[in-house]
Amino acid sequence: MRYWIRVYAAQLKLATAIMFQYRFSVLIWAIWGFVGPLLGLAIWSAATEAKGGSITSARGVTFSQADFAAYFLVFMIVSHLTMSWDAFEFAFRVRDGNLSPRLLKPVLPIHGDIANNFAFKIVTSTMLLPVWALLFYLLKPNIHFSIVNILIAIPAIFLAVLIRYLFQYCLAMFAFWTTRVEAINQLYFTVDGFLAGRIAPLALFPGWLGVIAYYSPFRSMATFPVEIILGRLPAEQFLTGFLYQIFWLGAGVGLFKLLWAGGMKQYSAVGA
Amino acid sequence: MRYLALFRVFFRTSIQTDMEYRVDFFSRIIASLLALLTTMAGLSIAFTYTSSIKGWSFPQVMVLLSVYYLMDGLIEMFIAPNMRNIMAQVRDGTLDFLLLKPVPVQFLATFRTVNIWRIVNVLVALGLSSYTIGKLSLTVGGVQALTFIVTLAAGCGIIYSFWLILVTLTFWFVRVDNIEQIIWQAFEAGRYPIEIYPVWLRNALTYVVPVAFIITVPAKALTGQIGLSYALVSVCVSAIALLLSSLFWRFGLKFYTGASA
Repeated sequence: MRYWIRVYAAQLKLATAIMFQYRFSVLIWAIWGFVGPLLGLAIWSAATEAKGGSITSARGVTFSQADFAAYFLVFMIVSHLTMSWDAFEFAFRVRDGNLSPRLLKPVLPIHGDIANNFAFKIVTSTMLLPVWALLFYLLKPNIHFSIVNILIAIPAIFLAVLIRYLFQYCLAMFAFWTTRVEAINQLYFTVDGFLAGRIAPLALFPGWLGVIAYYSPFRSMATFPVEIILGRLPAEQFLTGFLYQIFWLGAGVGLFKLLWAGGMKQYSAVGA
Repeated sequence: MRYLALFRVFFRTSIQTDMEYRVDFFSRIIASLLALLTTMAGLSIAFTYTSSIKGWSFPQVMVLLSVYYLMDGLIEMFIAPNMRNIMAQVRDGTLDFLLLKPVPVQFLATFRTVNIWRIVNVLVALGLSSYTIGKLSLTVGGVQALTFIVTLAAGCGIIYSFWLILVTLTFWFVRVDNIEQIIWQAFEAGRYPIEIYPVWLRNALTYVVPVAFIITVPAKALTGQIGLSYALVSVCVSAIALLLSSLFWRFGLKFYTGASA
């Protein structure tokens, strides 16, 4: 345990230093995080206005404009906390052989990457905090934070981070076989965004689409904690939500081990 | 005439290069099709709850979306690849070779490559718009079609000038590819009717990043929401933009020095 703490502390320090060298790229990622949810909010606010102030789904879920503001703001923050872009980075390393020196280190590259990801989240979240506060002030969301729900949401967010991270890492490992994975990643991001509720809240999805979204792994990666924080999920569904998360985490770990073992056999550095 | 012949040569060589990366380009197209599909799905979910959003009906919004997609395709096919090349050439100093050729530099630099696979976007967009127009049971009259074509052409001129100005900035700042990313984010806003945004954003999308001129105006022309007089405004804006950007490019070129100078 002490060993792992030291490993992660060292990686965190390194990653934070690197982060400050790439301020502009960090800014662009942050903007990407804002644009989607705000566009979603704009279209749904306009739709609510046309409906005279609130929208009610077939299952009796009601959203007012302030509810949409709350949803998309919380979604924005949780998405930022759980998102990662490592899939792109990893493919790069495989292609130009940069992965080789990392393989010689005594810990698997994924540990460095996870630490890197945490550093990214810590640095950027601190930077974004005033912007989020400003958005809360400007958009006047209808939200009543309950301490209990936030405490329950913390482990849910933590699990969501891990699940999303593992799935993306697995996706990135396709680079061992195809080298060009940008398009596959883009495809994945599109599906992820839609099924996690970036364009519309899952509660408003009609029929079969709602069922798919409910059982998809993407709900465990972002939507579930959002629902907890907003208080939109009845308490008796918390347990099933966590069970889904644990299931997808297990699936992610299994897939990672499988792909890593296969990929290592496949991988040979340039010149080998 | 000579320019047309040159453009044909550029077109042929581009296709030949593109053929080397088939799988990647096809998966890119699938990815962008999927992006269109999810936006359509999102909008159709919103429209199950209401029949109109800020005066736009569902078929009208679909027409708007297809114009967005058409423009996205045209930019990625003709404009963006060339502009990215220029940025790279300024950075590593290979723009020298273009300057030595006996053809106007702006023409050579900005029409050199064509990303042919993006024609799929263009075709899908055209298909989607004609399908929705059929569903709209709108008879697109001669005037409407003319207004659409004119505003679309004007829009192409405007977006070309916009990129040219952006690229000219590389002569001073060298790295502007990050700005490109930010502009694409602003462009995203064009997939929805611009009336849904607050006034300041609407103004920004009209005058700073001219999304309104290149997407909203042609879409409105096609759905018969605006008349021919708007087309005149668009054409004037486009002509002025082309002139100014070309002057700015020539001015910027004076500041270009090869990599070793």
